[in-house]
Amino acid sequence: MTRILRVGSGGPVGAGKSMLIERVVPFLAKKNYRVCIISNDVISKEDADRIRKNLATEQGILPENMVIGLATGGCPHTAVREDPSINLAVIEEIETKYDDLDLIIIESGGDNVTTTFSPALADYTIYIVDVSGGDKYPRKGGLGIETSDLLVINKIDLAPTIGADLNVMERDAKIVRKNKPYVLVNCKTDQGVEDVAQHIIHDVLFDEPPKNMLTQVKS
Amino acid sequence: MNTDSSDLTLMQLSDSFFPSGLYTMSNGLETIFDEKRATSQNDIFDFLQITLEQQLGPADSVALSNAYDCATNNDLLGIMECDDILHSMKLIQESRAASCRSGSQMMKCISAISPHNLLEQFSEKIAKNESPGMHPVVIGVCSFVMGVKKEQAKQMMMYGFCVSVTGAALRLGLIDHIQSQKILHEIKPKIQQILEKFSDTKINDCWQFSPKYDLFQMTHENKFSKMFIT
Repeated sequence: MTRILRVGSGGPVGAGKSMLIERVVPFLAKKNYRVCIISNDVISKEDADRIRKNLATEQGILPENMVIGLATGGCPHTAVREDPSINLAVIEEIETKYDDLDLIIIESGGDNVTTTFSPALADYTIYIVDVSGGDKYPRKGGLGIETSDLLVINKIDLAPTIGADLNVMERDAKIVRKNKPYVLVNCKTDQGVEDVAQHIIHDVLFDEPPKNMLTQVKS
Repeated sequence: MNTDSSDLTLMQLSDSFFPSGLYTMSNGLETIFDEKRATSQNDIFDFLQITLEQQLGPADSVALSNAYDCATNNDLLGIMECDDILHSMKLIQESRAASCRSGSQMMKCISAISPHNLLEQFSEKIAKNESPGMHPVVIGVCSFVMGVKKEQAKQMMMYGFCVSVTGAALRLGLIDHIQSQKILHEIKPKIQQILEKFSDTKINDCWQFSPKYDLFQMTHENKFSKMFIT
């Protein structure tokens, strides 16, 4: 069984976790990376169904069985942190069947700023917040904002409307995260989305070519 | 100084902090809740009692017990037979898959903290799809390896199931934290009674029959909006 690299994506309800995946995966697919998505839903299969419909059924970027929805028993934190056993069991099933995958993205159920991923579950974590929570969000910290490998500040187009100052958010993100990377994103227009994809390619995949291309070269 | 830590091991394995994913399962209660068939503490108690009497007692506890005995005799084939029989009796795909996932993860955890030849061999069979790795069977084998007594292992499995269901009821807003403890307190004699009844049952004589609850669990598979895996 080949261990496939894993990215965990967490953030509050409505921050745009699913949308970010829907936008990032096409960039990865353009470069021939094969991705599987596990969506931990708090209450329904809606996120998984929407991602599957968009990326698999409509765009044909990945097979429909590569988007998997998991219920978390009302405990989204637990499912990715202290007891990730169900996620791990599903991942092991995927690894057994599809060893040519390059990446598994695990989306946590929407919750609050203390979300972290078990190191057994995710090799790299992205935490996403959106500006509609106010420009105080990064400053308030929380494990997700402070310790994730990449912070995504989404919906930046809404900043003027709700009176959020992006400069303040950037300044505070730098301080709270001790200069670890962050990206300003607008998923509606793809602004910043390619940067997120590049972080994944560089920081997680180490700029290695996709496995299927390596196989072609070897053969 | 008493160095027997088996009671502490029992606490470790039965603690909800132990990573087995049981908190994601309502075992059909979510459907019953949605259909307003369970609205009170008594309804939850009845649900538990029937499930224990008709499913976990005659099937799961028997498989656990026989697997434990096989583990005692280092009988891998016997363990696999218990596993196969229990797997074939579980009609609901969602429940079957959830049990296998909990089983494989428990196996992995125990193998990491207490390596044992039998665990390694059984894990290999599960990894090769030669044995499903049902949770009760894995509990039996792991309990033997960890030095937990068979009777305690069966109690742990039955009580763990009850915690999983009452936890689900709590999170669904059906009962409060005191009521949930009251249910768990009152179900204990039932657990003992049921375990006693099936204590000598051989694996080939195990059974389960709860068609109504099977239908509830089956209905859950196709629900669009749900908090729980089962």
